[in-house]
Amino acid sequence: MNFKIENVSYKYSADAPQILENINLEIRPAEVTAIVGPSGCGKSTLVSILSGVIPTLMSKGELSGTVQTGENVMISVVSQTPENQLFGYGVEDALAFGVENLGLDSEEIHARVESVLDLLKIQHLRKRAVTTLSGGQRQAVCIASVLAMRPDLLIMDEPVSSLDPQGKRLIQSVLGQLRASGQTTVIVDNNLDWFSGIVDHVIGIDKGKVVFDGSKEAFLTRFDVQQQLGVLIPQEAEIYRVLSNRFADLPPFSTLEDAFEALRDRVAPNISGSIEPVESPEAPVLETRSLSKSFQDGFQALKHINARFSKGKVIAILGQNGSGKTTLVKHLNGLYRPSEGSVTYKGASTAGKSVAEISRDIILVFQHPEHMLFEENVIKELTFCARAQGIPFSEEEALAVLEKYDLLKDKEELPVNLSMGRKHLLTILSVLFSSAKVVILDEPTLGMDLHLRDQLETIICDLKKQGKTVILISHEIPLVFKISDELIVLDHAEKLAEGTVRQLAENEALFERVHIDLPPVVQLSKQLGFQTPACDVESFANAITGSRTGGAVLE
Amino acid sequence: MRFLSDFLQYVELDSFLHRLDPRTKFVFFIIMSILTSFVKSGAALLFLFLVFLSIWLIGRIGKYMLVLANKVKVLLLFIFLLWLVLGAFSVHGGPLIYRTAFTLFGNHYVFSLEWYDFYKGAVYALRIFLMIAAFYTVILTTNFSQIILGLQSWRVPYAVAFGVGLVFQIIPMIVQEFATIMEAQKSRGLEVDKCGPLAKMKNYVIVSLPLLFRVLSKGHAISLAMHYYKLNFKVRRTSYKMIKATYSDVLFASATLVATVVTIILQLTYYIQI
Repeated sequence: MNFKIENVSYKYSADAPQILENINLEIRPAEVTAIVGPSGCGKSTLVSILSGVIPTLMSKGELSGTVQTGENVMISVVSQTPENQLFGYGVEDALAFGVENLGLDSEEIHARVESVLDLLKIQHLRKRAVTTLSGGQRQAVCIASVLAMRPDLLIMDEPVSSLDPQGKRLIQSVLGQLRASGQTTVIVDNNLDWFSGIVDHVIGIDKGKVVFDGSKEAFLTRFDVQQQLGVLIPQEAEIYRVLSNRFADLPPFSTLEDAFEALRDRVAPNISGSIEPVESPEAPVLETRSLSKSFQDGFQALKHINARFSKGKVIAILGQNGSGKTTLVKHLNGLYRPSEGSVTYKGASTAGKSVAEISRDIILVFQHPEHMLFEENVIKELTFCARAQGIPFSEEEALAVLEKYDLLKDKEELPVNLSMGRKHLLTILSVLFSSAKVVILDEPTLGMDLHLRDQLETIICDLKKQGKTVILISHEIPLVFKISDELIVLDHAEKLAEGTVRQLAENEALFERVHIDLPPVVQLSKQLGFQTPACDVESFANAITGSRTGGAVLE
Repeated sequence: MRFLSDFLQYVELDSFLHRLDPRTKFVFFIIMSILTSFVKSGAALLFLFLVFLSIWLIGRIGKYMLVLANKVKVLLLFIFLLWLVLGAFSVHGGPLIYRTAFTLFGNHYVFSLEWYDFYKGAVYALRIFLMIAAFYTVILTTNFSQIILGLQSWRVPYAVAFGVGLVFQIIPMIVQEFATIMEAQKSRGLEVDKCGPLAKMKNYVIVSLPLLFRVLSKGHAISLAMHYYKLNFKVRRTSYKMIKATYSDVLFASATLVATVVTIILQLTYYIQI
């Protein structure tokens, strides 16, 4: 069954701006369709219309046009936060909830629960409590609970936005099963990176209008549209985007295998990615010595962690969820006190200081901006840290920052009304007005499109130039390799390794052990025989261009 | 945070108490609530406390009840002192510790501290603790899905049963949210550790705003999810799981009955009117 939207326009009230304007699109059966577009482009509104939330639950807006879904068609949605969607204490309770609402007989309910447990290969989770599942498992159960209702169309709204690499892999595998079973699926996510392998059809929306409607292959060659929509594409496709500007006859590629085939004859053996400057070790600005943490219930979250954070460096902490990353950074700013060991800032212990006192030197920006925002407007929120810490600032400085990051027009807006990505950007910008010399960012890319990520990179570079230390927790591995100087790898509460990005990039066994895939650019540069692996697309492309042995160069 | 997250919610264990039919535990809760509302004999309450203690040990939830006791200790102390002070201003004729008379603002008062006043304070504090403990015993050993099933089997409308279950699902989430917001605000410089009580109170009020937004946002997400799952209280629902009483339920119900009878006998035999 095809789902057609014809000439659909929508605004939330008569005097509100137009959110969707004359939308025409078709979702084809048994295909995976991606809906992409920048923050605030109208993707979520479109999902609400498709799922019937508009006008069933939200009836005050002005909706025109037709949504052709057919009679008795079931459309279900998987949201980005399964903990808000799953009803039931145990996995079986949660799986059965939707089917029970359909009034089916007990035998049919049992059959459907069994079938989704088998389909998604999650039989081993059936007796678990939902609260004990990892993020990826919880999302898999959420997908299964919706599938048990046998929806004609399944819509998934940023389903992996808060998952670690293992969780993403699980959901990728689940989506693979769904595609093979012929399930019609729509994935709304501006990060095409993780699911490009299974997408058939891409619809791009910008400012409420459809600006692209075509195959994935066609989308991956339209760099102008990708840029306009702020879509994060797979790094392989990004490599092609950069190199196709330099080589006239480069065949298109979007997978690692195709990239290797396309580039293997264009590079000389044993070329260098980029030379790592040799730096003499300097005294760390922040240090942990034999740091251990055991909670009251006996759970040991950290075991004898020795870590050094140098001035003016970007240091990323990597590991799966539960490896101890957040517990470690909460020790750095005093939220947690060590069971054993110590934290020292500029050689002095942080013990005995309150968190607010430590925040003058070491500031932590949380993962979810809603936990931090509470001022009545954007400009007050921006200057909150400065006012809380008694740091002088001028309104001109604040306005200049808002202008630089495209928030000036929203300066009187209630911060919680901003899009998720812009809320996050605002909480990060507020630390620019603090006196802290060490800035800790926990999953700073949450909800950000490509444009906002570029701005985030600018902020981190600026902080580094000012001699500040940036500690980063992120599951966005290509970004981590691009902007970090050093890595600390944690696994099951222990530090496995610490070193420069290039040093650790050589250690494939380390990343296999923690189930993290090295970025495609690192893998490709190793396959192509680089002496030192390139860690970002630009240096990779420069190395290829500098060493080329074949093909016509445009420059 | 981990410690806090264990409070006020079901604890996953495989114990005799956890395996009971939720309806058996509801009946236990109702009987114990009534008993603790009417029983004022120290001996009867002490006996009830021993019954509770046995249940907690059998249910392996003893350490969680210690957490509860720790959380409510200030409340219990307040109740004890309140009844102690009230009792000290009336003469009961019990064993005397200290007595004096004085006049304040033209009114004549007798301060008569007797052993009975301590007894009365202890009895009232124990009654309140047992009332709370009866509720908490059920919450610790019955998850919200079982609560919904139990209420449904008692013909409670599904909308009500679902609402009750949802409350128990959401409370731990809100407790967790509050703790995270406090941490986030402290991390960006809000002083709540080293400041006076007034400043501390003001800062807690500040924290309530993001909590309100988060709760509203969760409420919105839950209402959307109810729509996605086609939840309609006007349509008849069916059930995946059924509950039925077993031999263990009969045993527990019998023990509850015997404990009730013994408590009533102790109340009638050892009640001291004070």
